[in-house]
Amino acid sequence: MWKFVTGKLLQYVIVIMLMLTLNFLLPRLMPGNPLVFLAGEDVGFMTSKEKEAILEKHGLNDSIVQQYGTYLKNIFTGDFGFSYQQKRPIIELLKERLPWTMLLTGLGLVLSTIIGVLFGTISAWRRGTKTDANLLTMFMFLSAMPSFWVGMILVSVFSAQLGWLPVFGAESAWSNLKGMDRFIDIVKHLILPLTTLVLISVTSTFMIMRYSMLNVLGEDYIMMAKAKGVKEKVIKYKHAMRNALLPVATVFMLSLGFTLGGATVIETVFAYPGVGRLMFESVLSRDYPLIQATFLIITFSVVIANFLADLIYPILDPKVGKHNG
Amino acid sequence: MDKQKWKHYWRVLSSNNLGLFGVALLVIFLCIALFAPFIAPFDPTERVGSPFMKPNGVFLLGTNDIGQDIFSELLYGTRVSLLIGVIAALISIILGCLIGVIAGYFGGKVDSFLMRLVDLVLVIPFLPLMILLAAFIGPSFWNIVLVISLISWASPARVIRSQVLTLKTKGYVEAARSIGTGIGVILTRHILPGVIPIALSQFVLAASHSILIEASLSFLGLGDPFTKSWGTILYYAQARGAFLTDAWIWWVLPPGLLLTTLVIGFAFTGYSLEEILNPRLRKER
Repeated sequence: MWKFVTGKLLQYVIVIMLMLTLNFLLPRLMPGNPLVFLAGEDVGFMTSKEKEAILEKHGLNDSIVQQYGTYLKNIFTGDFGFSYQQKRPIIELLKERLPWTMLLTGLGLVLSTIIGVLFGTISAWRRGTKTDANLLTMFMFLSAMPSFWVGMILVSVFSAQLGWLPVFGAESAWSNLKGMDRFIDIVKHLILPLTTLVLISVTSTFMIMRYSMLNVLGEDYIMMAKAKGVKEKVIKYKHAMRNALLPVATVFMLSLGFTLGGATVIETVFAYPGVGRLMFESVLSRDYPLIQATFLIITFSVVIANFLADLIYPILDPKVGKHNG
Repeated sequence: MDKQKWKHYWRVLSSNNLGLFGVALLVIFLCIALFAPFIAPFDPTERVGSPFMKPNGVFLLGTNDIGQDIFSELLYGTRVSLLIGVIAALISIILGCLIGVIAGYFGGKVDSFLMRLVDLVLVIPFLPLMILLAAFIGPSFWNIVLVISLISWASPARVIRSQVLTLKTKGYVEAARSIGTGIGVILTRHILPGVIPIALSQFVLAASHSILIEASLSFLGLGDPFTKSWGTILYYAQARGAFLTDAWIWWVLPPGLLLTTLVIGFAFTGYSLEEILNPRLRKER
């Protein structure tokens, strides 16, 4: 089990180092003035003194190895640099935006897993029937729709046309709502982005649950339970669903990367003030340090989540732990 | 691959409604892409009307914010989405085949190294990485293709590797090896033909993913500025707030419906191909 965990840990350390190195190299390898990539396009308006200060800060006058050292040191001490466009340290911006993204993706992941598991179970249980075919087709259509478009349509219908829900943001600006009112306000703003996220990410869970359930239903112990005359509901939910859930657990965390990526686009549609929207804003203003920082923070989150999943997995499936030592 | 086999595949495909539907959709889109100049009433890059016009007899889906015909834009957009999807998928499948075959055939350390690499790539959140790369190397047709294919080779590589692993243990491959046939001959004559069908279904699925990714990138303003894809149309619709007005029906709805239909076309074709090529799946249903 420990061998398994340390092996995985090593793998994630490599991912993070690779991404950090990529981030380090990108601004330095691209043709053109590296200052633009390190400070953003505003560099044209800077005085030579300010430029000198940036060069100094990133140690651009040092050797490439020293630069790399400085870069790593900065990142690991939480210094993601300075957004010259927003005139603020990047870490502050990230701290402000991260909770919203965590709220949106966290809830999105939980809801899409529950819905996917439920429908996957139903579909597998009635495989070959019309219900199964309809569910399959429906979920395939869902996964074929572009996420941002689903969001736009939902806004058009429920916000613009019907006026039921707010158009954008995470809460009403300048309203000074307190307590329960603020909570309701936040929930109202969350409904549409969350629905969009669930709609586009539910299919993978559904497909895996259905497949895994089909496998479990073919096992001897299910046949045995049926032969013993165990109630259908008990077989379905207690015997089969429980065992079929294992592969879903791995997908749950793995799909975090997909969900966070989807959230980037969805947050953009709803102007939801999360990290994804921040990434979009920084792309629009070509604020390169900020683009990199948002990318890094998303990668970190995905890697951490994956590692957590690996820690939990041997507990769920004792076979994994034993096989690996 | 001999003729008999393809004939057999075709028979299974045509008995499979989903697959047939998928192929039909793809053919329709291919025709639209090829004949766009003949079908489209206007040049999509020309300002032919006044801005923000409602649909009427001349402009079937109205005009956009600078007076271009949306209907013509959509028809021409088919070309971009199809082309990027197909080329990016092709490159990633070639990469995936190369790596999958090498890993599966040579096994041992090469295999474990390459599969580790696949695991690494699969962990990275791909859309944010694409945004990062696209922002730095700049938006252009080939950059988008490059970015998509650099990241999407990993899961096909894994599927192809497992196929190679099964092929390797087949009698004829072992026989060829035991009489000292060269690696090149074994790979091209014995392994590759067995890989191609799987690669084909993986290609079709990769194409559907690539189309969605291209749309997302274009929607975020990272698309090729010189060609207008369906994603780009939606980018402008979003930027001009079209989805908050009645214009959503003719400006926002159609590009997304087309994207969904095209992706469904690829997905249905891909899944049925998988079913055809994997007879075990067929029996289970």
